[in-house]
Amino acid sequence: MFYLAAAAIVAGMIRVRHLSHSFGPHQALKDVTFSLEKGDFVFLSGPSGAGKTTLLRILYASLPIQRGEVNVADMNLNRLDSSRVPLLRRQVGVVFQDFKILPLRTVEENIALPLDLRGLAPKHIERRVRAVSRALGLEGHIKLRCGDLSGGEQQRVAIARAFVVNPKVLLADEPTGNLDPELSLRLMELFKQFQAYGATVIFATHSRELMNRHPGAYVMRLEDGAITYANWPGAGVHRPAQTWAEPLARKPASDMERGA
Amino acid sequence: MSRVFVRLARRGCSDLALNARASMGAVFALTLISFLAGIFFMTLATLDRQLGIARAETVFQVYWKAGTDLDQVRSAWEEYLHLPGFVSVKTYTPEQAMNELGTRLGRGGANMETLFPFLSGGGPLPATALVALIPQGQDPEKWLEETSVYFRSQPGVSRVASTPLRDELGRAWKKVSRYVIWPSFAFMTLILGLTAGNTLRLSVLARAHEIEILRLAGAYNWHIRLPFIVSGVVMGGAGGILGLLLLYFLHTQISDVLNFPPLLLRIYFPPPHMCAALVLAPAATAALSGMLAVRGY
Repeated sequence: MFYLAAAAIVAGMIRVRHLSHSFGPHQALKDVTFSLEKGDFVFLSGPSGAGKTTLLRILYASLPIQRGEVNVADMNLNRLDSSRVPLLRRQVGVVFQDFKILPLRTVEENIALPLDLRGLAPKHIERRVRAVSRALGLEGHIKLRCGDLSGGEQQRVAIARAFVVNPKVLLADEPTGNLDPELSLRLMELFKQFQAYGATVIFATHSRELMNRHPGAYVMRLEDGAITYANWPGAGVHRPAQTWAEPLARKPASDMERGA
Repeated sequence: MSRVFVRLARRGCSDLALNARASMGAVFALTLISFLAGIFFMTLATLDRQLGIARAETVFQVYWKAGTDLDQVRSAWEEYLHLPGFVSVKTYTPEQAMNELGTRLGRGGANMETLFPFLSGGGPLPATALVALIPQGQDPEKWLEETSVYFRSQPGVSRVASTPLRDELGRAWKKVSRYVIWPSFAFMTLILGLTAGNTLRLSVLARAHEIEILRLAGAYNWHIRLPFIVSGVVMGGAGGILGLLLLYFLHTQISDVLNFPPLLLRIYFPPPHMCAALVLAPAATAALSGMLAVRGY
């Protein structure tokens, strides 16, 4: 934890305005608007195909912006040239359900990957990798190949890789989807710890249990590409009768999930 | 920057070991491609050398001094039958030479001594031999020189003239070879390059997952391309060298397979520029395809 404490995150924020996105005739996102400040943590929920992954992909510039305006980590994605996308991704950590790690490389190599790309000195890289590994309970596996680890350990490697560069924004696309409930809760704690040091976190999940265990967290629910629930003032909720409603008052996640 | 460059280049090499099976498969494929291209080059080189040199019989006209002992001359004629590349020999004693001359002058076999009584007693013509030989060795000019010296050194020989008969096909080949060799060489190099590039592209496809992760981690294009370029150069170069070694081995086994009369066809190893192409073409195109293949991921 020393490393994470020492590496307090600088300001990070996300602003999305009237974002819409289509895949052919299918509209994946409909007029989505919300904003998050430094240190905010939001659960992004909704059924499969609701647009969660599409939203996250736009936030890390894996999809182009068709309509609307998006700012992430002080960068306007509408004006972001493709040659500057790596700069954005150095500010944004991403964790996926399918881990996206290099199975043939060691834990150490996987975690060090983003630091390697920055050209840091080997000693510096080693120090940071060891600190993050210790924080995530991976110090005993550092020389093992990732392909030989369990699913939970592989996911921790993926999280460590996202953490190691102190991103301003952390996007997690159902990172606990392949893990058992107990392990999911433990990983969730890691994200919360990370948030405590100032990172802005969007955590996409189906798990109501996870959200119920963190009643103070923001929750944003997407259905059919539109925000149908949000419990903090910075989100615009879509209702059939009106395009934009007043932002909801902040409510506990459990209340929101009950449809309150 | 240089630190990242070195690190990425090193990763390009270590990636080969990590993906050992795919790498070995690619190197194996490149080896075979280079080997096949090498066989084509070897055929081309052999054709060029064989058709480009004087291949036909060379006839030596050997003239003895007048009055040389005919037994000595006949002994030399016997010796000519055992010369390497011997094809035929026509011999003329002074009398036979006179008769031949008479025939050529259109006298229909009339005796020259009858026509010209002052030629009686052998006349002024020397003993002569026309020896047809096939050039030996790789350097026909040198052979010609050495054989002429041999004839001149025979006892009683006054003069030796040679009339190397150059093959019409050879002369024609010399005229057109520059329009055939280089385009064929370039075409084969292109095929070699395209095939090598495609092989490497398949290897890149197998690593698409890795490219995606690198992009997510904030890698610039050159971060991704450099290891692939290094891998491409190493695999392409290794495939080319192995192909060349295979070709060399093949050449040692078959170089003289057709080198017997009447073919006397020696198979030649491709010249240095073709050997260089066998190594450099796959290496360069593999590097290029490694660079281009990462586009779109």
